[in-house]
Amino acid sequence: MTNAAIEVSGLVTGYNDGTVLDQLDLTIMSGEVTAIIGANACGKSTLLRSMSRLLKPRTGRVQIFGQDLHKMPPRKLAQKLGFLPQSPIAPEGITVLDLVSRGRHPHQGVFGRWTPDDQAAVDAALDMTGTHDLAERLVEDLSGGQRQRVWIAMALAQGTEILLLDEPTTYLDINHQIDVLDLLTDLNQERGTTIVMVLHDLNLAARYADRLVAIGNGQVHSVGAPSDILTETMLTEVFGLNARVMADPVGRSPMMVPVGRYKVTNDTGTVRKNAG
Amino acid sequence: MSMTRNFMQLRLRADRKRRLGLCIIAAVFLGGVLVSLMIGRSFISPITIGQYLLGADVGGDAFTLGVLRFPRVIVAGLAGMCFGMGGVTFQTLLRNPLASPDIIGISSGASAAAVFCIVMLGLSGAVVSVVAVAAGLGVALAIYLLAWKGGAAGARLILVGIGISAMLQSFTAYLLTQAPSWSLQQSLRWMTGSTNGAQLELALPLVLALALFGGALIVIRRDLEVLRMGDDLAAGLGVRIGHVQIVAICAAVGLVAFATAATGPIAFVAFLAGPIAARLIKGGGSLLLPAALTGAALVVLADFVGQVLLPARYPVGIVTGVLGAPYLVLLIIKDNRNGGAL
Repeated sequence: MTNAAIEVSGLVTGYNDGTVLDQLDLTIMSGEVTAIIGANACGKSTLLRSMSRLLKPRTGRVQIFGQDLHKMPPRKLAQKLGFLPQSPIAPEGITVLDLVSRGRHPHQGVFGRWTPDDQAAVDAALDMTGTHDLAERLVEDLSGGQRQRVWIAMALAQGTEILLLDEPTTYLDINHQIDVLDLLTDLNQERGTTIVMVLHDLNLAARYADRLVAIGNGQVHSVGAPSDILTETMLTEVFGLNARVMADPVGRSPMMVPVGRYKVTNDTGTVRKNAG
Repeated sequence: MSMTRNFMQLRLRADRKRRLGLCIIAAVFLGGVLVSLMIGRSFISPITIGQYLLGADVGGDAFTLGVLRFPRVIVAGLAGMCFGMGGVTFQTLLRNPLASPDIIGISSGASAAAVFCIVMLGLSGAVVSVVAVAAGLGVALAIYLLAWKGGAAGARLILVGIGISAMLQSFTAYLLTQAPSWSLQQSLRWMTGSTNGAQLELALPLVLALALFGGALIVIRRDLEVLRMGDDLAAGLGVRIGHVQIVAICAAVGLVAFATAATGPIAFVAFLAGPIAARLIKGGGSLLLPAALTGAALVVLADFVGQVLLPARYPVGIVTGVLGAPYLVLLIIKDNRNGGAL
């Protein structure tokens, strides 16, 4: 039995005058990997930011483990929920060890005494992400893939039960994308960490997530197991995309292939030419 | 286990390196203080200085030390600390070395207000400091609001600040023309900063500013460090972004404004101290203390150079200005190479 890690109810939010999310309800199950998908500017990141307290709801509320997000002290929240933004900034001249150690910030008091617990968490994080050997290197000297591992190590050192990630695979080569998603799955399986991430690549989302959340028109279009969600109908409705969905040859998840207008030799005609 | 010990060693080594860096900066500062006390129109040996400090009768040197050299070097050091700490706070908060208070108009604002109080209103003492702080905060708020466009982006904020700084400097220059009885030296103090005629009374407000504002910054130094990784990430690590930003800006403006009220806006010290300290102290730790010490060393040494080593006597701000200008040019060139689009 899994229970709710995050509950979003009646969420209305946006930037300045615009409303991005309108009366959105969503439950994120504890111990699962959830991927949020949707077209550009549909509010995926906005939803993630709302769930990590970066954005205040206009109406509605967000609860984590039954507690109102905006009534929790920030430090307490940061011990339970971690957030990795799309493009975090590595300060100049910082080493990998220093950066990962900063994940312990919410666990340290005003005097910031470094405890054996802090050290153990940092060690485990470096271990799990395979960044031990990079510990003394400067973050600015690392490759994109290594850097992303280091940021994830920092989030691991934070030791939270929930980890939110905004497009953790952007700007990475495909092999490093797989690397990062495997790593997050390790984390989910070994520590039971609840993972919620915004992903662009639908096939990777279907492959790695236990649950997909499709966002369209400021609301949850559909939510469920990838095989129920990644359908030709959903692709038409949420993305306005004409695509085929079939079984993934190496896994049990569905896989989609876009049709497009050129070089289509095997369009069986079961799908309308112009979606919508 | 061996891994863990390995990292503890790394951490200890990093701590040692940091302490060594701090000691080097402190040694340069203290060296500057010593030569400033020894060398001037007359030479005073370190032994005589020691005797004076212990309360012995050192004859005519007592006047040179007690009235001329000690007040000057103490005020220079304290003002340097305020500038260095205030500057690095702004640079850290806005993640840009150009966002220093002496470039974006905070110092010019404090200076203009101080001159206005002294020339137009005939005020002096603590009132001037308080008005300078208020003006500094006002300028900070004005820049923030003018640069606001659905979020205050760094580059826009800096450009607006440079514009405001230029306006305030011409206002100060205008005010100075209204005070015909002032000497060139006094005018220069409010344009580029000077420690000429510094008296020990000037040191007290600086000590208070360092205790109050510097203390506040020390308390939030960890949050400031985490903020360097971006607002979103810092918020995710439990930092109360709004609180920290307000405390940091008020404290940094306070430091810079108090120092400006005492010595005038000593050019580029706030701008240079942080980056120099960062070169000397590698690694992740807080730059507040290193920058404070670097600022102090800069002002004391530049004052010594301006007074003793150059053919004529120049106020300290002219020397630091000559040091800072090339670095500013270098930074702007580097930023543009990196494609620093506005």
